[in-house]
Amino acid sequence: MENNFDKGSALSIFGSDRKEDFMALAFALIIAFSVYFAY
Amino acid sequence: MVYTKKSPALFIIGVIMLAIWYAAGNGMLDGYMEHLAAGKKYKYGAELMSIPMYFGLLSVVIGAWQWFGNHTEGAWDYYSSTVAGAMFILLIAMLVRWFIAPEVAVISMSMGKVGDTGKYIHKLLGLNYVVMGIVAGIVIVNVFKVPEWAKNGVRVSRLGLKTGVILLGTLYSAAELKNLGGLSIVMIGFFVLGSVGMVLWMGARRNIPNSMGGVLSAGMGVCGVSATVASAPVVQAKSVEIAYTIGTILLWGVGCMFLFPIIGNLLGMSYVQFGAWAGTGILNSAQVAGAALAYQPDGIETLKVAEIFNITRVLILPIIVLWLAVWYVKREENVTETVNVGQVIFAKFPVFVLGFILLFALSTTGMFAPANHYKGKYFDNSNVKASKMMTDEQIAVLSANAHLVQREDRKVALARLIDGRKIATIDDDATIRGLANSKVMGKESGKILKKAHKAVRHTAKKIKAFRNWITWLFAFGLVGLGMQITISSMKQAGGQPAVIGGVVGLTKAVLSLVVVLLVVSETI
Repeated sequence: MENNFDKGSALSIFGSDRKEDFMALAFALIIAFSVYFAY
Repeated sequence: MVYTKKSPALFIIGVIMLAIWYAAGNGMLDGYMEHLAAGKKYKYGAELMSIPMYFGLLSVVIGAWQWFGNHTEGAWDYYSSTVAGAMFILLIAMLVRWFIAPEVAVISMSMGKVGDTGKYIHKLLGLNYVVMGIVAGIVIVNVFKVPEWAKNGVRVSRLGLKTGVILLGTLYSAAELKNLGGLSIVMIGFFVLGSVGMVLWMGARRNIPNSMGGVLSAGMGVCGVSATVASAPVVQAKSVEIAYTIGTILLWGVGCMFLFPIIGNLLGMSYVQFGAWAGTGILNSAQVAGAALAYQPDGIETLKVAEIFNITRVLILPIIVLWLAVWYVKREENVTETVNVGQVIFAKFPVFVLGFILLFALSTTGMFAPANHYKGKYFDNSNVKASKMMTDEQIAVLSANAHLVQREDRKVALARLIDGRKIATIDDDATIRGLANSKVMGKESGKILKKAHKAVRHTAKKIKAFRNWITWLFAFGLVGLGMQITISSMKQAGGQPAVIGGVVGLTKAVLSLVVVLLVVSETI
């Protein structure tokens, strides 16, 4: 896919891999704790 | 640049989701769901009643705003514009999970089971949501093109994959380490690292891009899809390279699954030997199980050994990611041997793999399921309900057929079961499961034994919920990944990955066979 975005890259909306990693970690922890308290 | 497109697309996606929810809730899909369930209960009924409603409402509200609102440049515009593409991917993932994958399963089941494997062809070929999600994405991008309004959102698919990999940590626990023998650690360690090294070496000689070599090495060395997804960002792999790796692994595994049992029988391998070989040489978990069951349809000893080898591979994953991180930086930046490994690791090591380790550690504490669980299943015979204890009639049936049992360990486990009316220990549980599979006691006894097994095996609700999340995140991520793969990019990647994968896979299969035959003498 062409990189026609002025932010992020062709593969990610985030400026750096590390930022994307932290977002993924945040989402995963939110899911993990939601599951922990919901079930 | 303003990213939000003034388009009705997201609004329409929301309406479609709400229509699916409404149709399912009002019984309009009952006939079709019955067809997809193929005589069983349709698995996704509860999901159909809730998920499309939540996401449908969200899409309608944001879609109306995108369609009619005024948009100005800024962070809000940038991030909210991804919702349209993300919901488009999610809608495709919904259709794949709820309708397309079950339809393929129905067609496959109508064709009957394959030989001794006891499995249907779609299971053996790995035709699940992973493959179908990627294919759906590839078809959309190549036949219809990704619409302008969805382009920004397609780029969030990798975020979904990373989140899924982190959550994978919840499915395992360190208690499994206790079961790993020294042999499995040494063999898997040697062959995983050996395969990774060999792919990287061959890749360099054949001039494939470092990103392709890196992701293929993890896929061929560790365990298929999860390893491929986990290592891809470290080596900045392109979507087409990830898809090629998954394709190579699945194709290679299909060949092995049929060949391994034939070779095992020709060589007269013991169950332990075959389990060790299959667990080392075959890459995909389902395919390892298929080969093990094909080799020993009447018990689970082979399957147990193969599973232990399989788990060992997953646990090596963080080490491989670390290696690839350092390797990639050295190769790409042409740095000399003096590279500061510590700095590279600090700068490049993917935080999401640390997340996987963090959730693995939390899972080990017993936070999500009893600490001895494996993929959410655990043994507990302390709270068997009175209704699930064996009845006098069942005891009578088992006692009448007990003389048919030949193996000493099975006789002992059966005697203990008859005495206590429930399975006594985790080892007895494995033995009884093998006895049920062997069918030596006849159909009725087999059913009773399976009931006894189910009474002491429990599935943790939390782990079941995690598995659902992981499935959705992977389905979402892989549909999006497929949408980034064009025919021209596939042509560009060429056939090299398949050649390298084949050579490395064959070398690993042959060498591990030799090692197993020389080192493993234990027989069952």
